[in-house]
Amino acid sequence: MGRKILIIDDEDDIREVASLSLETVAGWEVIKASSGAQGVARAAEHHPDAILLDVMMPGMDGPATFHELRKNPATAAIPVLLLTAKVQGTDQRRFADLGVEAVLFKPFDPLSLSAQISRALGWK
Amino acid sequence: MGNPDQPALPPDAAISIALDRMWERHRSQILERVAVLEAAALAVAANQLSASDREAAHAAAHKLAGTLGMFNLPRGTDVAREIELMYFKESALLAASGQQLAAMAAELRTMIEDRKSNR
Repeated sequence: MGRKILIIDDEDDIREVASLSLETVAGWEVIKASSGAQGVARAAEHHPDAILLDVMMPGMDGPATFHELRKNPATAAIPVLLLTAKVQGTDQRRFADLGVEAVLFKPFDPLSLSAQISRALGWK
Repeated sequence: MGNPDQPALPPDAAISIALDRMWERHRSQILERVAVLEAAALAVAANQLSASDREAAHAAAHKLAGTLGMFNLPRGTDVAREIELMYFKESALLAASGQQLAAMAAELRTMIEDRKSNR
């Protein structure tokens, strides 16, 4: 099934590889945002099926962006998956406690990113 | 645009080709992050690492850890993650020498400069 995914990440290379992966492997539509503020606006405008959200960003970071998304009724129900390069157990627990649907880790395998997202969200 | 007379590439081949192109586009930015680590290692060796140097080195290592494995450099991710932890934890940084940090940054530079195409 065709899906629409919003990628919010301040790093160009991560946005490009994730986008390439989801478009090429799964055939999904991808919308990109390079900051938390831009991501919140794009989510309200495009109503994606899920949001892939980087944790460490300048300005509004991942957790702050997640809270903004949840505050807005237009975006509150959109599933959010955090994307992080942090592997320490304390960070993982902190992220899971935020209430996001899943935490995915960088570096990801471009060939299996869409399968990871589908599995995390119970998509067929 | 693809040539309609040619069959579409399987996803893994298409991704591999596209990743190689992206690598060429982002390589200089990735090497700039290594340069930040090299400068920080010199500052550690001279006992002149400022708080902002340390923060910049931690951020550069974090970004490299998240990026290199995607480009088929898993060892790069491991080394960058180790450097990230050193700049994150005061105790690890105190135990590390500038020489050790410089050697790890040099290892990253070599593997980035030597990365071969996936094809």
